[in-house]
Amino acid sequence: MVRDLYMFSKVDPEADVVWFKINYENTLHSEADITAFFADKDLDIRFAYLDSSEDPSKGKYVMFTEAKKGRDIKSIAEELEKKDIVLGLDWGYSKNRVIQSVDFPLHILGDRAVMIRAKTFVNFLNVLNEHVPQSEGLLTIVGLRNGEGAARYLRGVTEMDDSNFLELLKELLMAAGWGILDYDMDVDELKGSARIRESFIAGEYEDSDTPVCGYISGFLAGYISESLGKVVQVRETRCESMGDVLCEHIISPVPEGAKIEHLLRGGSN
Amino acid sequence: MIRQPNSILGNERLLVTMGKKGEIFGYYYPGKDFAQHVEESQACIHDGKGLIWSNAREWVADQKYIDNTNIVSTELTHPSGLKMEILDFVHPTLPVLVRKYKLSSTHSFHGKFFYFSNLQVGEMKKKNSGFCDYDSGLLAQYWKNYYVGITSTPLFEEWQVGKSMDTIWWTNAKFDMEDGELQRNNEDIGNLNCAVGWKLDLEPSKPVEITVFIGAASRRPALYRRMREVLKEPVERIYNDTQEKWIKWLSKKKLLELPDYLGFQEFRLELMKAFNRSILALSILNDPGKGSFLAAPEFDHEFEMSGGYGYCWHRDSAEIVTSLMEAGYPDYCSRFFKWCKGTQLQDGSWFQRYWLDGNTAPSWGNFSYSTQIDETGSTIFAMNSYYQTLDQPVKAEFLDNMWATVLCAAEYLMRRTSSGIHETCLCLWETHSGIFTYTNAAIYAGLIGAANMAIDYNEKGLADRWTERAEFIKRTTIEKFWLDEGYFARGMKDGAYDNAIDASIIGVFVPFNMLSPTDKKEREMIKSIIRNIEKYLRVPVNGHFGIKRYVDDTYIDGNPWVVTTLWLSKALLELALTSDDTDREELSALTHDALKYIQWSLKGATGAGMLPEQVNKYTGRPAWAIPLSWSCALMLDNIMLLDDLQKKLDRD
Repeated sequence: MVRDLYMFSKVDPEADVVWFKINYENTLHSEADITAFFADKDLDIRFAYLDSSEDPSKGKYVMFTEAKKGRDIKSIAEELEKKDIVLGLDWGYSKNRVIQSVDFPLHILGDRAVMIRAKTFVNFLNVLNEHVPQSEGLLTIVGLRNGEGAARYLRGVTEMDDSNFLELLKELLMAAGWGILDYDMDVDELKGSARIRESFIAGEYEDSDTPVCGYISGFLAGYISESLGKVVQVRETRCESMGDVLCEHIISPVPEGAKIEHLLRGGSN
Repeated sequence: MIRQPNSILGNERLLVTMGKKGEIFGYYYPGKDFAQHVEESQACIHDGKGLIWSNAREWVADQKYIDNTNIVSTELTHPSGLKMEILDFVHPTLPVLVRKYKLSSTHSFHGKFFYFSNLQVGEMKKKNSGFCDYDSGLLAQYWKNYYVGITSTPLFEEWQVGKSMDTIWWTNAKFDMEDGELQRNNEDIGNLNCAVGWKLDLEPSKPVEITVFIGAASRRPALYRRMREVLKEPVERIYNDTQEKWIKWLSKKKLLELPDYLGFQEFRLELMKAFNRSILALSILNDPGKGSFLAAPEFDHEFEMSGGYGYCWHRDSAEIVTSLMEAGYPDYCSRFFKWCKGTQLQDGSWFQRYWLDGNTAPSWGNFSYSTQIDETGSTIFAMNSYYQTLDQPVKAEFLDNMWATVLCAAEYLMRRTSSGIHETCLCLWETHSGIFTYTNAAIYAGLIGAANMAIDYNEKGLADRWTERAEFIKRTTIEKFWLDEGYFARGMKDGAYDNAIDASIIGVFVPFNMLSPTDKKEREMIKSIIRNIEKYLRVPVNGHFGIKRYVDDTYIDGNPWVVTTLWLSKALLELALTSDDTDREELSALTHDALKYIQWSLKGATGAGMLPEQVNKYTGRPAWAIPLSWSCALMLDNIMLLDDLQKKLDRD
C-alpha cells in the first residue's frame, strides 16, 4: 500500500520542516515515548504515520516537524538515537517545504508504483482516444490485464473467495483513490452491477456523450473473471462524465452466438 | 512498432524478416516492399497453467543460417527442459513460408502447441476478414485481393479466428489461448488475430514435429491451390529442393582466392561466409521482375525515427548491381538498368527513391533544390561500368536501348553544373542542403561514364563536351574544396564553406575515381583524406574502430556505419592494389588496416550474419536498418579486392 507522503506545510512559513524516519522496537509504550520526546524538545509534529505491519516486533515512525530556524537538530537526533527503543534513525530537512518523500520507491500490490494525478491519467486517455484506432478496445485490454493481476495478488496475500472478493475490491479502489464502489452481483448467474461514485476518470474527464471509464470496465472484468474463474463482460452504461450521479458498470456473462456487427445488416430477429 | 530482424528469408516472390527467437517481424507479398501482412506471428506452448511464448525471455536462443542457403535454423532452449528447434525457409518457387518445428522435452510433458498470428492483411488493421475452412485444412485471412493462409502438417486440431483489439476481449485469440482451449469458430471480420493448436505430448527422446505453412496469394482459389500443393509435398523434399536451389545459385559466384591472413585467425573462412551471405541476402532483397533493390526490409513503417528504408534508392542500387556483377551475377545489372529507363524523370534525373514497382516513394526531395543529384551521377556511372563488361553484339544492343536515357541524364547533369560545381541540392545523407564534394565526384563519374558510351555511339562531340565538363568539375572541386589540412571540405551551405569532415569525401576515390591512385599527387591526396577520416571519424567499439558519417552526426546516436567503414577499407585495398610492386611494406600495411576494418564490420553483424547499416557505439551490436543492402554490396567489393590483391601477389 502507498506509504509515501506529499506535504504542503503552511503553518509557520518561517520554520524549518524537518523529517524523521525512526525504526523502533515495538513495545506497548514505544510510540508514546517517541511522541513525548518530540514534545519535550518543542518540535511540533505536523504530519506522521506509523507502520508495524511487516514485523510486529519492529515499527517505523515517520514524522514531519516544524522547528525554529537555527535549532540544533543534529543534537536532538543524536539524543533520540541513543534511546533504547530506537533501532535506527534517518532525518533531514525538507528544503523547499513543498513536497518531501521519505520512502522511495513506492510499491502497490507487490509491484513498483508511482503517483500520478488523475488529470495526467485522463490526459493519456484523451491522447489515446484521439490518435489510436480502437482505443476503447485497447484500454479494455489493459484494464483487463491489470484487474487480473490485482485479483491474483490479493488471492496471494489474503483469504479471498466468492463471498468477499468484491468487498476486497471496494477497499482497494477506495485506497487507491479510484472511487467509491458499491455493487450487487449474483456470482452463480454472473450478473450484476458495479456502481462507482467519484470515479477518478469520469471526475477529471470533460463532459462526454458516451461513457469514458472503459479502463475501469476492463479492470472490473479482469478482476471478477480472475476471481471467479469464469469469464464475464463488463460494460459501463451510466457515467458521471455524461451527467449521471455515478458510473454504473453492468456485469454479465459473455454472450454466445451471433455478434453485434454480424447483425447490423438486418440478420437480427 | 520498430523491430530490427536478426535474419531474413525469401524467394523471388516473398520476403520474410525474423527476430532472433523465430518471431516473424515482416511478411511481404506480392512486393518485397508492400504489402507487409504480419504484425505478430509466433508459436507458444501451453503447459497446463499458462502460455510460454517462443519469444519469452527465459528461452535461450541460437539462430544461424544453414551454410550456403537462405534457410534459418533457430534453436530455443527453455530452463524447464523444453526445446524448440525451428527450420524456416521459403518454398523454392511458391510464396509460402515453411516453419518446421521440432519440439522436445527432457521430461514427460503434456500440454498444447499453439501457433498464433496477428495478421494485418494488406497492411490493414481494419476491414480484414478471416475464416477457417477446416475441411480443406486452411485458416485464411484476407483484405481485398490480398490473401494469407495458414495450414500445417499434421493438420491443426483446434483454431480460433479472434478479434485482436476490441471491447469483446474474450474473442481475442491471444487471450483465449491462455485457458489452453481455442473456440473453433468459423469466421469473423474486423481487426483480427488467429491461432491454431495441437495437443502436445512429449516424452524424453521422443520429439514431435509440426510444420506450419504460411502462404500468400492474390485470389482465394490460388491460395487454396498453393496450400494444397505444399501439403502434398513431403516437407523433407521441400527442404532439400530449397537447399539445392540456393547452393546452385551460389555456384555461379566468382571463385575467390583468399589466403590465411597473418594475425587474423580463421578470418579466411569468415570472409568466405560473409561473401556468400551478402550474395544470398541481396538475392532476396531484389524485385526480380523489375530489377530494383530494397535499401533494407522496412522496419520503421510509421516513419517514427527515420524516413523508412523499404524503398529503392539509385545511389544504393547502383553500387549493389555493380558489386553483384563483379561477384558473378551480371543479370541484376541488365534488369536494374532497364528499370532505370522506366523510372527516369522527364528532366533526365532520378527521383530520391522509388517503390520497387517504379512508383515514386514518399519523399522529401520533390524540388530541384531538394533532389539528390549524386543519384543521377551514380546511375550513369554504374551503367557505364556494366556496359564496359559486355561483349558484342549485346554491348551494342544495350547501348541502343539505353542511349536516350544516358543522353537525358548527362544533359541533366550538364544543366546543373554550369559553374563547375553542382547547384544546390540535398547531400547523399539526405541531411544537408548545399553543394557537396561527394555529389560533385558522382557527377564527374557520371559524365565520364556517359562520355565513354557516347564515343561508342559515335557521338564524339557530346563525349568531348561531357568529358570537358567532368574535368572542369574536378578542377573546380579541388580548387574550391581542398583544404590546407589535407582533405576535402564537405562543401558549401548557404554560400559559405562547410569544412566539416565527412566520410563521404572518400567518394572522390571510391567509388567515383575522380582522383587516381596512380597519379603521384592524387595518391598523396587520397592518403591524406584517409588519414583525416581516421583521425576525426573513428569510433572505438568492438575492439577496433568503425567510421561514423561526419562530425556531429546526430542520426540514431551518431553511430559508426558499416558503409563508411567499408568505403575506407575499400580505399585502402585499392591503394594496396596500385601500390608500387617494390614497396611490400606499404602493401602489407594497407591490407592489414583494411582487414581490421572489414573484421570490425563483420563483428557488427547480427547473430545470423546480417550486415546492418550501423553498429551501436555503446554496445557494439548491430543497429538500425538490418540487413542494409549497401553494406552487403560493399562487403562483396572488399572481399573481391582482397581476392584481386592475392591474385596480384601470386602473379608477382
